[in-house]
Formats: sequence, structure tokens, C-alpha cells
Amino acid sequence: MRHLGWGMVVACLLAFPSIAAGATLDVQVTDQNGQPVADAVVTVVPPSPWSGAANARGVAHTIDQKQLTFMPYVEVFRPGDSVVFRNSDRTRHHVYSFSPAKAFEFVVAPGESAAPLVLDKTGVVAVGCNIHDGMISYLYITDAPYYARTDAHGRVTFDALPAGRYDVRVWQPRLPPGRPDLRERALVIAAGEAKTLAFPVTLRPDPRQQFDREHTHY
Amino acid sequence: MNFRLRLASFFVAALVLVQGVTAVMVYRVTRQALIGEGQRQLDVAVRGFARQLDDLSTRVGESVQVLALDYALRSAIAQHDQATLLSALRNHGRRVGATRMLLVDVDGRVEADTAGRFRTGAAFPFDDLVARAYEQPASAIAAWDGRAFWVVVVPVSAPDLVGFIAAAIPVDDRLLTRLQTQSALPKRIELATLSPDGQWRILAQGASEAREDDRVRLAPALAVGRGTRLPAEPVLLEVDGREYVAQAVDLSRSRQSAPVAAVLGYSVDAALQPYRAVGAAWAALLGLGLLAGLFGAWFIARSVSRPVEALADAARRIAAGDDTVPPMRERRDEIGQLAGAFSHMVHALQEREARIRHQAGHDLVTGLPNRMAAEAALQHALEVDASARAALLMIGLARLPEIINTMGHVVSDRLMRDAAARLAPIAGEGFIARATDDEFSVFLPSATRSEAVRMALRFVDALSEPYREAEFTLDLAPAVGIALSPMHGAEASALLRRAEVALIGAIGSEEPVAVYDAATDPHRPERLSLMGDLRSALEKNEGESGLELVYQPKLHIPSGRIDGAEGLLRWRHPVAGPLAPEAFIALAEETGNIRRLTRWVLGAGIEQAARWQAMGQDLRIAMNVSARDLDDVDLPRRVAGELAAHGVSPKRIVLEITESAIMGKPDTAIAVLRRLAEQGIELAIDDFGVGQSSFAYLRRLPVRELKIDRTFIAHLADSREDRAIVRSIIDLGHHLGYRVTAEGVEDARALDVLRELGCDHAQGYHVARPLSVDAFLAFAGAHRDTGVEA
Repeated sequence: MRHLGWGMVVACLLAFPSIAAGATLDVQVTDQNGQPVADAVVTVVPPSPWSGAANARGVAHTIDQKQLTFMPYVEVFRPGDSVVFRNSDRTRHHVYSFSPAKAFEFVVAPGESAAPLVLDKTGVVAVGCNIHDGMISYLYITDAPYYARTDAHGRVTFDALPAGRYDVRVWQPRLPPGRPDLRERALVIAAGEAKTLAFPVTLRPDPRQQFDREHTHY
Repeated sequence: MNFRLRLASFFVAALVLVQGVTAVMVYRVTRQALIGEGQRQLDVAVRGFARQLDDLSTRVGESVQVLALDYALRSAIAQHDQATLLSALRNHGRRVGATRMLLVDVDGRVEADTAGRFRTGAAFPFDDLVARAYEQPASAIAAWDGRAFWVVVVPVSAPDLVGFIAAAIPVDDRLLTRLQTQSALPKRIELATLSPDGQWRILAQGASEAREDDRVRLAPALAVGRGTRLPAEPVLLEVDGREYVAQAVDLSRSRQSAPVAAVLGYSVDAALQPYRAVGAAWAALLGLGLLAGLFGAWFIARSVSRPVEALADAARRIAAGDDTVPPMRERRDEIGQLAGAFSHMVHALQEREARIRHQAGHDLVTGLPNRMAAEAALQHALEVDASARAALLMIGLARLPEIINTMGHVVSDRLMRDAAARLAPIAGEGFIARATDDEFSVFLPSATRSEAVRMALRFVDALSEPYREAEFTLDLAPAVGIALSPMHGAEASALLRRAEVALIGAIGSEEPVAVYDAATDPHRPERLSLMGDLRSALEKNEGESGLELVYQPKLHIPSGRIDGAEGLLRWRHPVAGPLAPEAFIALAEETGNIRRLTRWVLGAGIEQAARWQAMGQDLRIAMNVSARDLDDVDLPRRVAGELAAHGVSPKRIVLEITESAIMGKPDTAIAVLRRLAEQGIELAIDDFGVGQSSFAYLRRLPVRELKIDRTFIAHLADSREDRAIVRSIIDLGHHLGYRVTAEGVEDARALDVLRELGCDHAQGYHVARPLSVDAFLAFAGAHRDTGVEA
């Protein structure tokens, strides 16, 4: 699904051709051990009042459930996008969320997909499976103009940022609970400039791995 | 304590000692081993217990974790449905046995508390558990509100972390008891916490075995002397007088809780409890053993001591004179040997005693009973019937001392053996014994005087045949003295002595057989005391002594005047009355008192002579001097002293000496007499004619007077021979220049003859009996006046 995100970024860039020859911002997220952190959502927001970009079309994202794992782990949504949970396993999955942004709960039979769910509020929706404790996925719904998810190297690159001031935020599911997202405020970027931001984050252990480890005991 | 008791008590004491020492040793070793083993086991148990609690902790945490995954609960938490949440917490809490459940948010603040004690938003006290709970269920035993709890904190994911559930599961007595029953834990388990005042306080404890253990608190006792630290190694300690081995283990898993420790221990007493039964069995066994030992020892001791006591008893009886030795039981052991040796010894003893007794009672030469045996037999016979007639014959061989001196004892022994062999058949029923070296005694029971004499003559007859050997022939010169019972005494010793006296009489006489005659016995026992009395009499004054001189007048035949007197000693014994002079004078001679007696006589006589001299009486006093006095070279000086002291002329006294007195030690006697004569004292020979005086001596003696013995005078008138002798003596005396005095003149015819023969003086009853001083003076005065009638 990552290519889908990139597609959206490209789409954005296409929507603002005037700043197509903008600055470049590299963000590198590392954990407390200096290891690159994947699945971190980096959003870049102009500091001035931001009304948010409307997404009239409402893109449908599919979260697959394969081998008792939500794929992907983190998916970024624009408000108005919808999510479809597909069950590629041979077991049933009881997908649920108690998140304020979107609470739901239903069972997806093996090989079937659930009805699309429209995510119209920004926020993070933590999705779990009531049958399989270790299954967790995060739906990150943002209206930020620039956003991206770090790759396996913990990197994200914004190529055509218009020169200006920006707030840069980083979110990761395994950040300590109850803490605000990490952000770099009022980052000034000149046109054609290539900036690199390093975000060292402290993460909690990956609950999925725990589950996997447990799982192998069965 | 007799042998039996000692032996038995030794056995028993040894048994008790050995058993006691063994018991003490076993007890000590057992106890030490128990404690050592207990300490090792305790160490293992404590570690095991801590591990067990930790495992349990983990399991409780996992259980709570499972609860936290409950969808409904999570939904209630996520939806902040407080009422549902609390009820769900309570409900789920019950599943894991929690008494209190809390919901804590991600910031560590209490969102819900089933106990209702925390307000929403209050800080949850065990924040370190919360911090740990991010990783995995965190649980710790904590002291909370005075009780012990497992405080378990687990995260709640919905599916993201939304908070924590804290469960408080009591760790109480029941749980500990259950743990005890599930695993081999010590019987003493305490959970203790350190209270702010520094004291260890018990939170919970497992069930104890014994009721008294319930009151015991090990943790505080364990901390004594160690501050607030509890030892993590086994420790032996005493609580309320009971011993425990205890060890603590720290259970504090949360810094927010006061320190919590488990103390495990066990009672040494309780551990020893199983051995009590062994001990009791042992004691019972010991008691039985003691009893058996006592009986055994008693029986063994008895089997030893019985015969020993029997032997001792036999020994006592033998000592007391009982010769019958009880037969010892046949035994093959040492006692049997002892008994055998003992009875052998007794027999040997009896034989030896018999031999000694025989030797003690018999003469070795003749084989006859000796004097002791004879006397005993005699005494016995006399005691049986004191009044019965009996005769004791003493057969003496007068020549035996001479034979011994010349031929020696060997011959005399053979001779005596021969004599005994001759006598024995004659004695027949009589009891014959060898009384002394040269005497046999024969006791004839119920023999009369004539029978005894007849028997005596037979003995004499038997012994009159001389004893012959190849080279020589010995005449035995037998004599027999007879004493008759009861006439001569009822005592054996008295009879023996008297028979001997009679024998001496017989030896000295013609007749070979003599019967005892009390009248002639010079050896009566009263003599000895008489001497003592005499000595004391001599020491007294004249008037009180009972001693006095009487004076027998001497008639001067030609003039018919009394011109002198013989002073004769008389003793009136204070008890026995007047005593015959012969008796006590002879006694005094034998006992060495005669000199003192003589001194007394001389003193008294010279004193009387002095008185008469003072009165102008021309009277001469004659005094007797004993043969022993003539041994005394001081006699002349003493007489001279007496005369000088009283101023008496030596002419006034005459000392009379018997012929035999001179014969003893003639040289000394003659020297003494010479000195007396030189002092002017006249000497007279008394009892002249019967002695053994030799003319050789007579010639040398400074004598002035001869006194013819009374035996020649008694029949003077009728006997021509006597007359011839007296005439010869008178002629002899006159030719030698002596005066001649006739003694024992008892009739007028004798006096006539004497006058006719020209005798100078006459003395005798016909003249006068011995008279007292006054009577004498009167008599002398009368004679002077009347003159001579013939």
C-alpha cells in the first residue's frame, strides 16, 4: 500500500505546480538504540491557520489481515477516506476500535472483506482483533498538506516543499502513551534547500512481536 | 553393703551408665544431625519457597493479564463506563481471588477502585509496578494496609494501551497453609513486614503443627541483635524456651512497599518428636534391661555369694569350734575350687589341731597325758561328783635327777618310757599321766584309802625292779604319795599338790608309800599371806605388832637359881591368833625375812636385858640366831650397836646357833661368830647332838655353851643309852670348857639325872614354860627365895 501513499504525495505535488521546484526535507527517525524506525508518520504543516485540505473523492484503503496480522501496521488516511478490512486468513477476525475518531466492531469471515468504513475525523484509530490479542493496526487520519510514512530505513523525504515555515510532526504507535506527538516547530525552509531533520524517539516494545513470540509457543 | 548387693549394683550402674551415655550421645548426635540437616533443608526450602512465590506471582500476574484481555472490560474502560467498569473489575477480581481491583491510567493515576478508597485521579502507590507493567504483568508481595497482598499490575490494551489494572490478592494464612500442604515446606512460615517503628510484624503465617507454636513469632526473634536485617542463612534460635532453626528470605519486589520477608523455620523439638517415641521405647527397653540386669545380677551374685556365705558361715562355725564341715555343693567353677580348697584346709586344720591338742595334752617321751591333761581330766572327774571318793597317786622316782645328771636325758627318757610301760598295765581303769619329769600321777576314781595304798604298793613293786640296759643297771627308788578326795581337797590342783607333798614325805622316809597329812604339810598356801602380815607386823611398834618375846627360865642346877632365860618369839596374828613359832620362823627363813625378824628379836631382847640390868637383876638372855643371820657380816656390828645403844653389857646376852647353821657356809659363819665372841658375847650351840656337827668345827667355834637336844632328855630317866649320850656330851662339854644346858626337861626324874650327871642348866616345862616378862620376874624371884628343892 506504500506506493499508494506515494501516489497521494505525487498527487499533491501535482496539485501545486507553482511550488513544484520547492525545497527538499529529509526526515530521519531513529529509536533510542539508534535504529531506524519504520512506520512513523511524518506530517508537515504550515504554521498559519490551516483549514485542512478536503478530500472529496474519498479514497478506499484496504487493510488486509493475513497470518493474524494487520497489513499494513500503520496506514495514513485523509479525512473522508474509507477503510476496508479484508480477511485473507482462514480464521475469522473480530475487528474493533474504541478510538474516539472512529469506534466500530465487526466480524470478518475468512476470505471476505468488510463493508467500507468512512473515516471522516482526524485522529488515530487503533484497530485490534478481539480474537487475536496481538493483532493491532493504526489508522492515522490527518488533514496535513504533507505527510509521509517512514520506510524500513526510518526515512521520509519531502521533495517539493514550498519555501516557508513549517511544523514537522512525527508519530509512531509505540511512542509512550499519553505524550503529544514529537514535533519540530517553525522549521524554515528556503526554496531549493535540502534540509534533513533527525528525530530520535523513544519507543516501547512492539506488541506485535510479543504476540508473535507467544504465538510460536502454541 | 554385702558382696551380692555390690555386685548387683555394679552391674546395674554399669548398665545405666552405658545406656545413659549412649542415650545422651545418640540424642546429641541426632539433634546435631537434625539441626544440620534441617538447616540444609531449610536453606533449600527457603529458596524454593521464594521461587514458588515468584512463580505464583507470575501466574497470578498472568491470570490478571488474561482478565485484562476481556473484551467487555476493555470496552468498558475505553468507553469510560465507570459503573460497568467497577462491576466488571469486581467480577473479574473474584476470578483470581483478588479482594481489590483498581484501574490505573497510563499516567499512573487511579481511575477506579473497587474498594473506593482512592479518589479518581489519586496517584497509584505502586508506580514502579506500573512502570514494569509496560513490559509484562508486574506483581509483588506488598504490605498494604497492614496485610500482605500480591499487588499485580497488568496493562490494558484496547488494543492500544489504555491503562492498567491493579489487582490486590491477599497473601494470608490460608494461602500459606495451602502452600504448606502442596509442597514439603517447613511447618513454620511467616510473612513479616518491617513496620515504621523498626519492628518486624507478622502479616500472615502458615499453620503450625503444635498449638504452642502458634504463639511463637520467629521473625521478631530472628531480628534480635541484627537490627532490621533478617538473616538469609539458617540460624538456630530459642523462642519461649523452644528451639527453632529459622531462615528469612526477602520478598520485597516493590520499592513502594515496606520490606516484606518470609521467615521459614521449624521447631527442633517438633523435629525431635518422632525420636521421642524411639526415646520412650529406648527408656522402656532400658527399664526392662535394668530389671533383667538386676535380676540377672542378683541371681549371678547369689550364685556367687551363696556358696561364699556358706563358706563364711562354715568358717565362723569352725572358728567357734564346730568341726563338722558342711559338704559343699559340687561346682566346677572357681567357687567350687574355693570350696574344695576350703574343705581340704579344714581337714588339714583339724588334723593339725588334733596333733597339737595331743601334743599339748601328752608327754612326748612316754606318750602318756601330761600334767595339764591330767589336771584337766582330774578336774573334770571331780566336778562330775565332788563328794565321790577318789585317790590321786603321785609316783616319784627319787633318783631320777641324779640319773639325768649322770646319764643324760636320753637315758632318762628311755627309763621313763620303760617305767610308764610298767605302770600302765597296773593302773588299769586309773588315769595315768606323766606329772613332772620324774613323777607319774595315777587317778583312781572311787578308790578308798586302803585300795589306794594297795595300788600304790603294787606300783612300788613294779618299779622296784631296776632299769636295765646293756651297760648299766639303774635303781629307780620309787615312792608314792597319795592324796584322797574329797578328804584332801576337791580341786585337781590341790589334790596334785598334796599328793606331791605326800610323795616328798615318802621319799624322805623309810616307807615308800605315804598318805598326805595336813598336819605335816609345810606348804600350806596361807603361808604366803602370812609373810606379808609378818612384814607389816615388824614395821609396827612393839605393842601393836602382835610380836613379843616370852622368856623360858633357865635353872642353874647346882644353885637351884634361875639365872637366865631363853627369849622365844611369839606372834599373835591379828586374825589367826597365836601362831606356832616353827611355822612362821621357817617361813621367814625361806622368804628372806629372817634377818629382819632376828633384828627385831635382838632389839627386843637387848632392850629387856637393859631393863633388867637397870633393875639390878642378874639375868642373862639367850636369843636364837638363824643360819641365814650368820651370812650377814654386819651382824656383829649391829649387835654391838644395840648393846651400846642400851648400855647393856655383852655378858648379859647369849646367842644360840644350831649346828646346821654353821654347816651351810662354815667360813663366813665362823668369822661372824668369832667377831661376836671377840665383842664378849657368849655363843651357844642349840639342839646339840642331832645335827651333823663335826668336832673339827666345834673345836674352831668360839662357843661357851652346849644345849643338849630335847630328844636325848625326853626319856633320860628310863633310857640307859640316852643317859650314856647325855653323860658323854656333858663330859665333852665340860672338858672343852663349855657350859652344858639340857633342853626339854619335863619331869623331876630327868632333872635328878641331870643333876647327877653334873649338867649346868636345865630348861623345860618341868622348870617352867616360857613366861611373860612379869611372870618370869615373879618366877625368878620365887626361886631365888625358895632355893633348890632337890
